[in-house]
Amino acid sequence: MELGLALGLLGAAAATLLAGIGSAIGIGIAGSTAAGVISEDPDKFGLTIVLCALPGTQGIYGLIMGFLILFRTGIMAGDILPLTIAQGLGLLFAALPVGFVGWFSAIYQGKASAAAIQTIAKRPEEFGKAMIYPVMVETYAVFALLMSIMIFMFLPL
Amino acid sequence: MAVAKMKKVYIIGHQTEKDCTLGLLQRMAVMEITDLQGKAAAAAAWAESLDYDGEQESLYELEGRLNEMRFALDFLGRHFPEKKGFLSSLEDNRKPLGLGEFNSQAEGWEQEAQVVYKELRRIDEKLMSLRNDETRLQNIRTMLQPWNGLAAPLQEIRTTTQVCLELGILSIEEGDSFRAALASAAPESFLEEAYADRTELYLMIAYAASSSETVKEALKPFSFNRQDFNSLQGTPAENLVRIEDELKCIAEQRQALLDEVKIQVVSRSLLNQYSDYLVMERDKKQLLSNLARTSNAFVIEGWVREKELPDLEQKLAVNCNTVLSIAREPEGEEQFPVALENPPFAAPFEFITSLYGTPHHRGLDPTFALTPFFVAFFGICMSDAGYGVIITVLGALMLWKANLGQNARRVFRIVVACGVSTIIFGALIGGWFGGLIPIRPLFFDAMADPMRMLIYALAIGIFQIFVGMGLMFYRNAREGKWMDAVSDQLFWALFLAGLIMLAFPQLSAVARVLAYGAAAGLLLTQGRGQKGIFKKFGAGLFALYNTTGYLGDILSYSRLLALGLATSVIATSINMLALMLGGSPIGIVLMVIMLIGGHIFNLVINILGAYVHSSRLQYLEFFNRFFEGGGRPFKPFKMNTNYVHVTLE
Repeated sequence: MELGLALGLLGAAAATLLAGIGSAIGIGIAGSTAAGVISEDPDKFGLTIVLCALPGTQGIYGLIMGFLILFRTGIMAGDILPLTIAQGLGLLFAALPVGFVGWFSAIYQGKASAAAIQTIAKRPEEFGKAMIYPVMVETYAVFALLMSIMIFMFLPL
Repeated sequence: MAVAKMKKVYIIGHQTEKDCTLGLLQRMAVMEITDLQGKAAAAAAWAESLDYDGEQESLYELEGRLNEMRFALDFLGRHFPEKKGFLSSLEDNRKPLGLGEFNSQAEGWEQEAQVVYKELRRIDEKLMSLRNDETRLQNIRTMLQPWNGLAAPLQEIRTTTQVCLELGILSIEEGDSFRAALASAAPESFLEEAYADRTELYLMIAYAASSSETVKEALKPFSFNRQDFNSLQGTPAENLVRIEDELKCIAEQRQALLDEVKIQVVSRSLLNQYSDYLVMERDKKQLLSNLARTSNAFVIEGWVREKELPDLEQKLAVNCNTVLSIAREPEGEEQFPVALENPPFAAPFEFITSLYGTPHHRGLDPTFALTPFFVAFFGICMSDAGYGVIITVLGALMLWKANLGQNARRVFRIVVACGVSTIIFGALIGGWFGGLIPIRPLFFDAMADPMRMLIYALAIGIFQIFVGMGLMFYRNAREGKWMDAVSDQLFWALFLAGLIMLAFPQLSAVARVLAYGAAAGLLLTQGRGQKGIFKKFGAGLFALYNTTGYLGDILSYSRLLALGLATSVIATSINMLALMLGGSPIGIVLMVIMLIGGHIFNLVINILGAYVHSSRLQYLEFFNRFFEGGGRPFKPFKMNTNYVHVTLE
């Protein structure tokens, strides 16, 4: 296997694993708060599940980037694209924004979600406002995904 | 498309018609009633002519009966839970009843409900006493079980003038030393090991009554825990058999009682309806403490929508003889409750607004303006026509088939609108199930040309921000704040327009004039709140820095592209992975499972994302421009019933 291809695969792996780590931690934080709230009032399950799912999107963004890179290298279809080292590095770079921003933003979004869950535990009518804070964190994961896709799309291969 | 106009209404009438007036208001649900007694206490002029309301007694009585009904329903629910369908929390299955019918039935309900309540109370007490007996027997059984092998009748384990007989439990390590101590204290003593488990010995000891003092002294250091079964007759084994029989008998009695409860399950709907009746009566009585009253008259003060006022006046005139109503406009700074009024297509979206908050009573209702944006953003974020069809069909089915409550109906109207929008944008720029059905996008493929889509996304964002500024301009102008309207909205709008036009070379001359002119305007006006020429100028200069805020807001709309791409990429990936499985018959089954499961997953997470981000763009980027919250939502006095709906006629 060429080094270029290996670098591309590293990109696919990094995007998925870094963002995935973050999402797992983030949902863990939000989920444990939500479980506590549910113990008091099981009817709030529907509201809390939305907030718990929010830090999960980073992992999905990472997966998207991972798939895009995998498809591009052609190893799934069986006809592997000959990649130079520079091209492989390009694919790896494309993975970095969504990987790293996804990782950290998911953790902090998990904290914001946990706080929002505590808000709706006391005041369920303020769901709309409570939801905004974690979604503000999400913005940067979306931006990172956008930049990753842009780099990926315009990468000359 | 605005905050509803409210009128303050005073209703004055004779005491005898108080109940009928309140009942009418409760059924019409058009008036929010304010607390007059609190106010009246402050205003001495009122206070003198007011009486304290003597209705507290009947309020307590109603509360008491309501608690009885709650007990009865709770008790039935505990033993025979009501089967609730998936939709029951969304549906409105209240039974419509005319007022006359309702009142005449209520009397019948009252008697029947009392009978049912007493019956259930009696059963509950019996069940509780059975439960106590059961626990007591179970405890004895646990204590007796180790002694099962003891042949002696328990009533004979006692102290006579000659002999002391004792049962006790001893830690197993102490066994040998205990034997020795007992033997030395009373040589004629006797010890029998009835049972031993891993940690404890169950012993029976016997010794002469004459040496009881020395034995007690000798056994003190040991953990010998004496057991007393004096109250029982017969051997432990006999007792255990008897206890088992008694427990069986208790279980039978309980089953018989539960069968009696089961007979009462049919009364559940009656109890529910009667509870509704009690709740309505209770609410009326509770409200009485908000009214001002003299010995002969009562006054109700509250807010009514201007639109609904004629109807209220007409119905009051028809139903009550002595009642008079007076309406007036809210005065100057007086805060009135906020109700939103929108045309039918936008009205469901008041739900989106209300999730954020209630607009200020003198502010703007953003619902009408956000409706097209919310729907379009949702569609762009989903951007898959196949998913749109699923959302639309599910939403329409719910509206058509399920008997939805008012709020649920609103939500599913939003769902259908968003579903249709998803079909439209999916067909224009996306695909059908990620390309599973190969139909080319009608406009262009956003996945193949993301730059173009990015520009469209930002353009939509700029448009929404301009609409927001336009709304604030309108609000300032309406309030006569022309200086604010021109400097805070118009200059900014022109400045931003100029900056954007700079991107097009053929417009650059006009763009420069616009941008520089508007910037000068901002520089001169943004510091108008400050004192001193330097501060004014400095604040103006600093205000230009807000350009970055606008820039950030506009860039935020790039999420429309990113989320749309996310849907497409995941959908395409699912298809590719699934198609790889095909080939063998098992592979085809797996492929179908993968396709269905994968697309359901993608649909669900993207609905979450599309909803959350479409809302966010409204709440932050759009509302920031013009929205002022802090209004108090309009809460009319109404029926809080769950099973019965009393119709107006």
